[in-house]
Amino acid sequence: MIKLVNVTKKFGAITALDHINLSIDDGEYLCILGQTGAGKTTLLRTIAGLLKPDEGEIYVDGELVNDLPPEQRNAVYMFQQFALFPHMDVWQNVSFSPVIKDWDEDRIKNLTFEILEMVKLAERRDAFPNELSGGMQQRVALARGIASGARILLLDEPLGALDARLRVELRTQLRKLVKDQRLTAVHVTHDQEEALMIADRVVVLRRGKIEQIGTPNEVYLRPQSIFVLSFVGGANFLEGNVVRVSDSGSLIEMQSGLHILVSDRSRSIGERVVVAVRLEEVSVGIEVVNSTNSFSGVVETAMFIGGSMEYGVRLENDVLLFSRILLSDAVRAYKPGERVVVSFNPENCYVFAYPVIGLLKEIEAI
Amino acid sequence: MVQRSRNFAFLPKLVVLVAIAAFFFFVLLPTFYLISYVFLRWGEVQLEVFANPIIGDENWGQILKVLFFSFRLSLSTVAFDLVFGVLLAYVLARKRFPGKSLLEDLVTLPLVIPTSGFGFATLITWTTVGGIGGLLGLNSGLMPLNAIVPIINVPFVLFIVHISLTLPYVVRTLETKFQSIDTTFEIASRTLGASTVTTFRNILLPLAVPGVFSGAVLAFARSLGETGATMIVSGVSSTASIAIVRWASEFKLATASFMGSLLVVIAWVIILPVELYFNRRGGSFKISYQLPPSLSNKIIKMEKFASKSLPRIKDFLPLFIIATTIIVPIVMVLNSVMLYWSADPYTGKAQGGVVYQLFGPSNYFNSILQATSTSIIVALVATYVATCIAIPLAFIIERRRYGGFIRTLLKVPLIIPSSSLGLSVLLLWGPSCFDLINSGIWLIILTHIVFSVPVIVESIIAAYEGSNIQMYEDSARTLGATAYNAIETISLPLIKGGILTGFVLSFTRSLGETGATFIVMGRDMTVPALVVNMVEALAIPAALFTSTYLIFLSMALLAVIRILTRR
Amino acid sequence: MPEVKLVNITKRYGKIVANDDISFTIKDGEYVSIIGPSGCGKTTMIKNIAGIIQPDSGEIYIDGNPVTDLPIEDRGIGYVFQNIALFPHMTVWDNITYGPRVKGFTPEEIRALALEMLEMIKVDARSDAFPDELSGGTQQKTAVARALMSRAELLLLDEPLGALDVKVRAELRFELRRLVKDLKLTALHVTHDQEEAMSISDRVLVMKRGRIVEAGVPITLYSQPKNIFTANFVGEANFLTGVITQVSDEGSLIDVGDGLQLMTKSIDKRIGNRVVIAFRPEFASIGDGKKVNRISGKVKDALYSGSIMRLKVQLANGDLIIVKKALNFEKPKSIIGKKTSVTISPDNIIVYDQPENLNKELALE
Repeated sequence: MIKLVNVTKKFGAITALDHINLSIDDGEYLCILGQTGAGKTTLLRTIAGLLKPDEGEIYVDGELVNDLPPEQRNAVYMFQQFALFPHMDVWQNVSFSPVIKDWDEDRIKNLTFEILEMVKLAERRDAFPNELSGGMQQRVALARGIASGARILLLDEPLGALDARLRVELRTQLRKLVKDQRLTAVHVTHDQEEALMIADRVVVLRRGKIEQIGTPNEVYLRPQSIFVLSFVGGANFLEGNVVRVSDSGSLIEMQSGLHILVSDRSRSIGERVVVAVRLEEVSVGIEVVNSTNSFSGVVETAMFIGGSMEYGVRLENDVLLFSRILLSDAVRAYKPGERVVVSFNPENCYVFAYPVIGLLKEIEAI
Repeated sequence: MVQRSRNFAFLPKLVVLVAIAAFFFFVLLPTFYLISYVFLRWGEVQLEVFANPIIGDENWGQILKVLFFSFRLSLSTVAFDLVFGVLLAYVLARKRFPGKSLLEDLVTLPLVIPTSGFGFATLITWTTVGGIGGLLGLNSGLMPLNAIVPIINVPFVLFIVHISLTLPYVVRTLETKFQSIDTTFEIASRTLGASTVTTFRNILLPLAVPGVFSGAVLAFARSLGETGATMIVSGVSSTASIAIVRWASEFKLATASFMGSLLVVIAWVIILPVELYFNRRGGSFKISYQLPPSLSNKIIKMEKFASKSLPRIKDFLPLFIIATTIIVPIVMVLNSVMLYWSADPYTGKAQGGVVYQLFGPSNYFNSILQATSTSIIVALVATYVATCIAIPLAFIIERRRYGGFIRTLLKVPLIIPSSSLGLSVLLLWGPSCFDLINSGIWLIILTHIVFSVPVIVESIIAAYEGSNIQMYEDSARTLGATAYNAIETISLPLIKGGILTGFVLSFTRSLGETGATFIVMGRDMTVPALVVNMVEALAIPAALFTSTYLIFLSMALLAVIRILTRR
Repeated sequence: MPEVKLVNITKRYGKIVANDDISFTIKDGEYVSIIGPSGCGKTTMIKNIAGIIQPDSGEIYIDGNPVTDLPIEDRGIGYVFQNIALFPHMTVWDNITYGPRVKGFTPEEIRALALEMLEMIKVDARSDAFPDELSGGTQQKTAVARALMSRAELLLLDEPLGALDVKVRAELRFELRRLVKDLKLTALHVTHDQEEAMSISDRVLVMKRGRIVEAGVPITLYSQPKNIFTANFVGEANFLTGVITQVSDEGSLIDVGDGLQLMTKSIDKRIGNRVVIAFRPEFASIGDGKKVNRISGKVKDALYSGSIMRLKVQLANGDLIIVKKALNFEKPKSIIGKKTSVTISPDNIIVYDQPENLNKELALE
């Protein structure tokens, strides 16, 4: 069990971690999600003991560890570049920790062999890191971490150095290994698909602060802010003002008079709001099926992305709405220039107050 | 989670303390003492230098004279170095060609070569019939001893020697700097339409400006402090550093130390601002000034032409320089040894032959053997102690906030004239202050430690910064290794090459050091000092032999580095 | 809008053949991506075209002219680097105007071009800022602007988005395509991210171990890859080994073990051939559907990533397959352990001859 209480870390004028409060359960696979510069690596290094927090306490299994050096924290740190010791072969790398902790020789031999078998690298035990492929190096790094007997794995973008396809293949194997060994994992990444797929819980970090913590489903289905909604999964964002609130929901008026019906009833009339709809919830068709939230427009872009088709449809009020659908679910394909009707369900809409700093800044992708 | 490491938690702190103490004592103190000596004995200094009862302020006049001469010499040396050093550094950093490692070694050679032997070899080459003159069929040397370079008015041979000895500082500093600059910037420039020469001017050079300053400043200081070779070739002119040797031997200690301090202060005043400026800005020179377009276009066109038609020339010119300044003297001296082997080739007298001088009445062979053993003992002990100090020091520099300050301080022994260095050690440990050690082998060892530590530290730092050590150590720490364990099992093996290189470089340098040794040696003689003695005793053939012997020993040791670091 | 043609390009590094007798043509105005695992030779290829390295043999033509002997600066290309390579000692403005300046454009031309480019690329940075003050995405946009400024008509991009966050990558890649198309350039884009390549290219080339494995339009490469490696590389796929038991005009019947038979549309194989069948996870549907190719299985695991659910199903013959399904705001129910049936339409099954070593053929690195 790891607990962070009010952990703060500054680098000169920059506050990398701003009063972080976090509890991680034993055996949990926790993903810390955020952009570059959000503070994810700083957080990980602080837990590891490679950095000292300026304020706040860190507890591991109830014990205050702020002043405990890294080698006594029972937490292994794995770098994005793997950091396999270049002057040692696979066997020496994997057995490094047991050797340095002065374990029994036979025990070391058995353990190292067992772990190498587990990651399927037993025949490469004499190879040096620079002779191995990226995926193999990652497995050796994992093996080395597991062999140390540490209960906590701190993974800093563990798949970041690998090719895109390889990443997809290896992420489930990574989770399986951690779960089989009953370890606690804190996995830092900027890839939200990765986090959603393998985490027990996700922490969304932004500028040193925690935006939201929850299971992947919670974070995906019930984002608490526009940023989380945009960062995790992405969405269409529409601006408008609330014109009516009734039992069935609220009516939002966008510019040039188009109206959206949402099932949310928490906003007041006249309030400026942002309505968000996930790309997968926007359907594209030729005819109007249901008059609620149906808008006609022209297909502007048709992109093929990873097994799905993504359409950009320009509505009459100049708003660009995106729809994404799995190729296998698509009834037909649409071409740029075609007139279509897009629609979405009022229940699938999120409503937020219009952000003070402006919508673009709030999303701030680039 | 039980670790046995708790007991050794204090170890790193102890090591740091010892290292810094050793650094202070061995490396810094002598110089500070020298300067304080001048202040403490200001009365004496004033009497001897400014208000001498016999000659008035004649000594001060002499000081000024040699100082100006030294400046003239050193400034023109550096100017020459920059022009050709930049080219050579570029070729070494960016091009691949057969024999490149040989060229690198040749460039490094002057750093470790015994300066007296080298000075002698250069003298032979240019001014005697055993050198180029003889090759061209003349009856005498190519030029007289006191031939002068026009405009700058310094002796030609002296000029050449200084160039050879300082060029490596410019080339190595710049080469390292060039290599540290990602080639992607130059490639980007070329994809945008710039020729290689335009790319060099606009991209590589501005990004390497700190290196240019660093190298120039080091070269200047080296030239200012050059003693060993200068002693042999200077003829009637006197540089500041030779003056120190002369005054010290005449027991005009006050004048000598005053001159020595002056040189240290000057070198500091030049180096410190440059180092601080570049350390703070951390690197490149941001450009905001542009040439007017018409001029700029003309230059670009010329550069385009140069890129296409002159590559061969710009590759060859530096090679030519190296050849003349380094290879040729070595070849010449070898040639002379063979010429003079059994007898003087002109008079036929056996007394003028190498063999006679070595094994005859003067029995120089014995002296050579003795001197060799002294040299090797000194080199081994000094280098070993220096390495023990250098390793922790290098780590401190890399890891502590005050590390940059220590690194700048470490430049002191490098820039100080070797004669000043010798003098300062003599004053500190000898009768004037601690009175622990007299002139002799121990003092020589102490002196050699002073200039060895910086060399080894720089070598280790180069290896350290070249290999992401912090990441590996962090990894090891979280795997259960204590800080000490991590350094022992991970960091040290990874910088092994740097330590080894530093060791051999320093050992070789120690073998050949002349200037400082000369002041502190008393009756124990090292081989380079022996060469100076032989020259002064006009036992030229013996000097020839000894120089050759020394030079080849250095070259052999450099080859050893090459083999060791290839692993 | 030049055409780029490679003829028999070979490049070796010691024993490794990075480019093995490669020939292909990029048409005028085409946006072509080269994808492949690390070490496949794609970067070597693009560097050959740029002139950064020289091929051991073969010819390269840009716009019909042989360029193999031309230095980099004379090839008329724009190059975008993975590590961005903005000159750190120059401002954004000086970086962008560098190309035209060294090519001798007049100051007025340069100024007009720069303003136009900054507008087009929407670089929201002060033109007097230095690169280290900008975010990764802005830096790369500036680098692209710089590459396009000297009016080059061929744009070469070497893993241009590799140094950026996933989200930034997703946004920037469309900008790249838009720019290239608006300016009517020809573009060659190297990347290891097949999703990136497939979403913005007119054509995609797949490379492996120095050779071009397959080339084609993204949708075709995805739905009907001719090569089994391509099938695995451009997207997730299920692979089952089997033997052909029946062939007719409409297709073949394949036995994948333990009596499980699947109908496919392949007509060019013979009875007894050992084959590998492949289908994408999203084309396998769970539950009752058509009767053709309905197999029973048991759900072993379920992984959710936002709106997509991936089920690991063990079929009756022991094979494990992945089924991908859009959730559409369904609350994920617990179905692990349940028995279920999987249906795959014969149209969506691709049949390949079985290679000697299947795992080696499919290997992603």
